Amino acid sequence: MSTTLKKTIPVAIVFVVAMLVMMDYFIVTPPTDAAGKSWTSGAVKDLQNWGIILTAFSLGFGAVNLFYFHSKHISRRTPKQWMFSLWLLLVIVTFTVVGVFMGPNSTSYQWLYNASYFALSATVYSSLGFYMTSGLYRALRFKNIESAIFMVVGVIVLAKNAPALAVYYPALAAWGSFIENVLTTSAQRGIMIGGALGAISLGIRTMTGRETGFLGKLTEEEKGGGTA
Amino acid sequence: MLILVWIFILGSMEMAKKHKPEFRKLSGLDALPEMVGRAAEMNRPVHFTTGLGSLTDSVAPQLVAGLAVLAHVSELCAKYGVKIIYSVYQAQVMPIATELMKAAYVKAGKPEEFHEEEQVRYLSGEQFAYASAVQGIAERERPAANIMIGPFYAESMLFSETFQRIGSIQLAGTARGYQIPFFAVVCDYLLIAEEIYAAGAYLSGDPVQVGTTRGQDFGKIVALILMILGILATAAGSTAITGLLGM
Amino acid sequence: MSGQRKGIWDYLEDIPREVLYAVLLVFFVAPMIYPLGLPVPITANVRKWYATIDALQPGSVVMIDFGYSGGGEPELGPMAVVVYKHLFQKEGVKVICMSTSIEGTQLWDKAMAEINPSRYGAEYGVDYIHIGYIAGGETAMAAIGKDLRATTSTDYHGDPLDQFPIMEGIVDATSFDLLICYTTGGDQSEGWVRQWYTVYGTPYMCSVLAMMVPTMLPYMNAGQIISVTSGAQAGEMESLVRAPARGIKSADVITLTHILCLAYVVIGNVAYLAKKSQGGGK
Repeated sequence: MSTTLKKTIPVAIVFVVAMLVMMDYFIVTPPTDAAGKSWTSGAVKDLQNWGIILTAFSLGFGAVNLFYFHSKHISRRTPKQWMFSLWLLLVIVTFTVVGVFMGPNSTSYQWLYNASYFALSATVYSSLGFYMTSGLYRALRFKNIESAIFMVVGVIVLAKNAPALAVYYPALAAWGSFIENVLTTSAQRGIMIGGALGAISLGIRTMTGRETGFLGKLTEEEKGGGTA
Repeated sequence: MLILVWIFILGSMEMAKKHKPEFRKLSGLDALPEMVGRAAEMNRPVHFTTGLGSLTDSVAPQLVAGLAVLAHVSELCAKYGVKIIYSVYQAQVMPIATELMKAAYVKAGKPEEFHEEEQVRYLSGEQFAYASAVQGIAERERPAANIMIGPFYAESMLFSETFQRIGSIQLAGTARGYQIPFFAVVCDYLLIAEEIYAAGAYLSGDPVQVGTTRGQDFGKIVALILMILGILATAAGSTAITGLLGM
Repeated sequence: MSGQRKGIWDYLEDIPREVLYAVLLVFFVAPMIYPLGLPVPITANVRKWYATIDALQPGSVVMIDFGYSGGGEPELGPMAVVVYKHLFQKEGVKVICMSTSIEGTQLWDKAMAEINPSRYGAEYGVDYIHIGYIAGGETAMAAIGKDLRATTSTDYHGDPLDQFPIMEGIVDATSFDLLICYTTGGDQSEGWVRQWYTVYGTPYMCSVLAMMVPTMLPYMNAGQIISVTSGAQAGEMESLVRAPARGIKSADVITLTHILCLAYVVIGNVAYLAKKSQGGGK
């Protein structure tokens, strides 16, 4: 496949679409319609709807991929794996059949969802509390100046977030607010600005064909040649 | 401001072709050979994940940054003869990751050592199903090193604690501010926010990519100057700077 | 040396995870079974949230994004329920809901079952509606804000939106007086700032997981979000709305588990420093 097809055309598409979306977001480009919306508005609306359709499609694609991947395990009777793959496919089929024939808002589907996925999801999520506790216990130690500051700040915020403690010791609320609204906010702003600039830089590299990771396998020659 | 940043970045890309700027040390990325070497000594695999997120949502840049590091780590693993396991969340990423890893093994001269089904594992498109599957990989295969670069959500703590418990050395990087503290507490090496975007440039050493990173640093300097001017102007009762920025 | 007995400080410095988790589990479960009724302060952000909803005039239209997943339901569900109750108490306020999370419609049904809107005289299609899950995250937010009818033409049951009186005159983001988002994913909470507040100036509040609040504070302090609360503050909201439910119950759990975590930190540090003073320690 030539470099034009593998790299130049995809990068050109990325460049044009990105410029269109940015133009629509920031400026009103003439000619405008009766409502004052620029010509880019309609095009971007269509692109956004295509994006929504693609995302919905990728959900189905994921299901197909799961079937393909786990069917192979079942057919090969992969030790310690094939029973779980079979169970997974059975559950997928059950949810699909009930959802399609009875509707995702039916009581049957709701029961299936609440009894299985919702309960499991909440359980795994709740296990985070335990992991955080053990992480906290190990990390908040007075080992050096930095860890001491980390510990003091962590203890104040922990105490402030305990509702009853904040009632009995009102000073915690003031200290906690200072930590959140001044120290944390300023640090987060720095991280956000840095992250945003990094994303812009990556965007420019992508639009000019310098970042080719999303294109998959390219030879060194293909990576180095051609920009949009 | 955006146009200014663009000018800085494009200008830096051109300047970098003549004179390549230097990076400050990113100890996390410098530790990658050490991490893979450790896995080779212990005869245990390396686990890699680019977290959640797809190529069609707002965290796609982080995913792309993670894929750049995956390519580099795959090369190292191929060179040292270490098995690398890449856990996939989004099915659409699978073909890209497979090609990147295959190319890495070909470059190392060991294409026969790459086994797609064993090493590129699509686990689930659901967050906690994916998290449980990764924890299962950790418990069963006990990787010596765990590398997590990309967009991570609540499962970050689940991953880091589980891999810490089995004794893995860990490098994590994300631009999602919510999860940085959790990685900071548990992981051995950390890349914060923009460092993951610079990772591809840092590892490849490509002068033009490095130049874009310098361009974004110029953008930061401008932001800093505007902040200082804004503070001074607002303290003096002027709305010039806030008006200029449309705030 | 191997085989040397561990002293008390060795043990306290490195308490096995199983012990930590077991004690934590007891502190989780006990107050749920035997509520202690510990006091709950009402914080400024919750008061701001309450006041914003209270200030809504008859005819106001509110957009709610049920953007959280099943894992976040125990924390955000109570907040979503009590805010809906508050909105239903307001005369003439219309509530249009959508979901940027694929589980949003199921979780909305769960919330509605808990709220029982008919108790407040609220009727589906007249006072409240759910227009379904819209895939695409921030793309969906932008599309809905630009032209709601072009993005979705049915409610989550599949019935045409035109048949519902509540949807009369609802065109795009400018049709709404307030935007509320519940989410476990920062992309949603930040996405609404970029796609609705920045472009249309829609007043916006969000309720997120407790660990996400520090990252959302810059937006609130910059005036882009009216109020950011965590789902764990549902108890405070329930006190203001006078509708005690799951939120108040979990406030006891939060207090006790936080105190336990503080105890763990103290124990770990005392053991570490004691070992260090005895000449050991890592």
